[in-house]
Amino acid sequence: MKYLKREEKIPYPIITSSINQYLIVVIVIALTALFCRPLSTQQGYYIVSFILLFVVSVMAVFLGIGPILIASTLSSLVWNFLFIPPHYKFHIERTEDKLMFVSFFFIALINGVLTNRIRRQEALALEREERTNAIFELTRELSNASGINEILDVAFRDVKKYFDAASICILKEKDNSVEILARKGNGKDLSRIDFKVAEWVFRNSMRAGRFADFYNDASLTYYPMTGKRISPGVLAIEFEKPLSAEDEVFWIGYLTQISNAMEREMLSELALKARLLDESDKLYKTLFTMISHEFRIPIATIMGASDTLLISNTSEYNRTELFNEIFKASARLNHLVENLLNMSRLESGKISVHPDWCDVNDLLNKVARVLKNELERFNLKSSIPAEMPFVKLDFGLMEQVIYNLFLNACQYTATGSDINFEAYYHEGYIVIIVADNGPGFPPAMLDKVFNKFFRVDSQKTGGLGLGLSIVKGLVEAHKGRVIVENQKEGGARFTISIPTEIPDMNKISLEK
Amino acid sequence: MNESDSILIIDDEVQIRRLLEISLTSNGYKTFFASDGKEGLTSAATHHPSLIILDLGLPDIDGLDLLVKLREWYTKPIIILTVRNSEDDIIHALDQGANDYLTKPFRSGELLARVRTAIRLNTAKTDNPVLEFGSLSIDLVSHVVRRNDEIIKLTATEFSLLSLLAKNQGRVLTHQFLLKEIWGYSYLEQTQYLRVFIAQLRKKIEENPSKPELLITESGIGYRFGF
Repeated sequence: MKYLKREEKIPYPIITSSINQYLIVVIVIALTALFCRPLSTQQGYYIVSFILLFVVSVMAVFLGIGPILIASTLSSLVWNFLFIPPHYKFHIERTEDKLMFVSFFFIALINGVLTNRIRRQEALALEREERTNAIFELTRELSNASGINEILDVAFRDVKKYFDAASICILKEKDNSVEILARKGNGKDLSRIDFKVAEWVFRNSMRAGRFADFYNDASLTYYPMTGKRISPGVLAIEFEKPLSAEDEVFWIGYLTQISNAMEREMLSELALKARLLDESDKLYKTLFTMISHEFRIPIATIMGASDTLLISNTSEYNRTELFNEIFKASARLNHLVENLLNMSRLESGKISVHPDWCDVNDLLNKVARVLKNELERFNLKSSIPAEMPFVKLDFGLMEQVIYNLFLNACQYTATGSDINFEAYYHEGYIVIIVADNGPGFPPAMLDKVFNKFFRVDSQKTGGLGLGLSIVKGLVEAHKGRVIVENQKEGGARFTISIPTEIPDMNKISLEK
Repeated sequence: MNESDSILIIDDEVQIRRLLEISLTSNGYKTFFASDGKEGLTSAATHHPSLIILDLGLPDIDGLDLLVKLREWYTKPIIILTVRNSEDDIIHALDQGANDYLTKPFRSGELLARVRTAIRLNTAKTDNPVLEFGSLSIDLVSHVVRRNDEIIKLTATEFSLLSLLAKNQGRVLTHQFLLKEIWGYSYLEQTQYLRVFIAQLRKKIEENPSKPELLITESGIGYRFGF
């Protein structure tokens, strides 16, 4: 890991100084002594003491405290043995030389130790600053991350950068056990996750696993992630070596940040779920109210009309009228059921699109034929270019789309209004426009038009408000888009665009 | 219509059976009923009906499987009843030998028209070389198509397509069937050919090509000669 890697260069505990450093000390001092031999004969042995002191000081910058202690001792002994007369003896004759030797020893020692300490503190300060920055950076990145996966991305990237962790995995409580929520790193670690240990960590909020006090035969280390309101889970991580006390503190700070981010994410997920539940509850209520209301009217018509036909003597004319009413009511019921079925098929994703070559003219004709009675009261105009190519659409589904748009126009515009159908091919898209010159939609409601159970005038009975959301669903099933707008000249305008290919007509051999 | 025409209805819904019984008997047909597949097979073998109306949703056996079993020996028309949005089932049933289909809910008028067409097609004598549909006549021998005694020029493929549809007047022919019959097996996926020729034919033979009355599109399934 990065911090441990630096420890090899900047050793603070004596034990971490490697044997190499002691060797360096011996070699440097020996070389210095060798170099000073000729010098001492000319300049005297005092100058040698200065050079040796200088060398020890320089070494103090690079080496650990242990080698420096040895360097001070060794240099004073070397000075004594080789340079202070009598040479090659540890004995010192002159009193001032004895004093000189003692002070040399202490100066070398103090100088070396102090230099070493200052440098060590500087390194520590630098390291602390770097760690603070790292935590700050992590906090910043985590607060920008959205979603559990993004949080884990950030966490793993930083953990990889600062701690030499090969993989990281987050587990979350589920049904009294733990399950994997997300993981990063190499896949084989998944099999190495010990769920028993993870569960124990989750329950006891204590770390366990490798290098920890409990379950230390596990291959990963498991840390509890604790939050203020909920416990996000357990984090399993693979460290190569046990963390030093300082690294452990740093790591715990790190973990807290990750836990907090996870907690935040989980709480917002819970809130979203609660809101969705609330919404679906509301939707249910609307659905039931509307269905019972919408169904009751045609059912009442059918029951009333058939009852009258059964028990009373009605005139031939009235009988026909009643039969007509029954027929209309059942057609309406049928339409309601069709829409509900279509909606549920769309919602459950059971609609499969089978695109095939379509003649848009044919599509329009088919719908116009089915809606013949309704369209009689309107002015249907169509504009399809003569050279309109065939397009790939699901004929049956698109028929429902156009059907619903036409029916919508028939229901919400006055008799005699224009309904315009336009279709053209443009750069890979088939564009279909259905527009009317009716009242259009209230501008504030334009963005709700495709919502389920939306109706402009909720008082007016006219279906469940599913027709247009089915249009949207079916168009989107074709990977297309539908938009609605009010035209400047008045009326609603639906524009559908669906990506399509067109056939290469040159390949079709048309005999004349 | 032949007085002795009898129809077997295989459907598990009592109300639908009642409805079919009333519409069919009041139009002079004799009716038999079966409420599941097993009973249907026995009844078909016993009564040899002129036509079978088969609901694809049966309680004991898949309607398509029953259709295949019936077709092993039963050669008269079979009309299937299905729910809407089941094009795949319909195409499959038509390919397996069903003559026509109706989606529930259906109108009785529609049902009777289909029944009549199916029985007529089955018993019609096909030795008349000239088919007449109002002002349109198709001479199968001399390959001449006329409208109001005016000759309409058709290409060979157009004529084959038109005569195939017209010979099966009232019956829906699937895209695959038409492609196979007119262009051959290697064209089964080339529906654009069919689209091109149907569009050309409409321009030539329909009174109003944008409101076709003769060549009717059956969404996602095929075409029907609709006179």
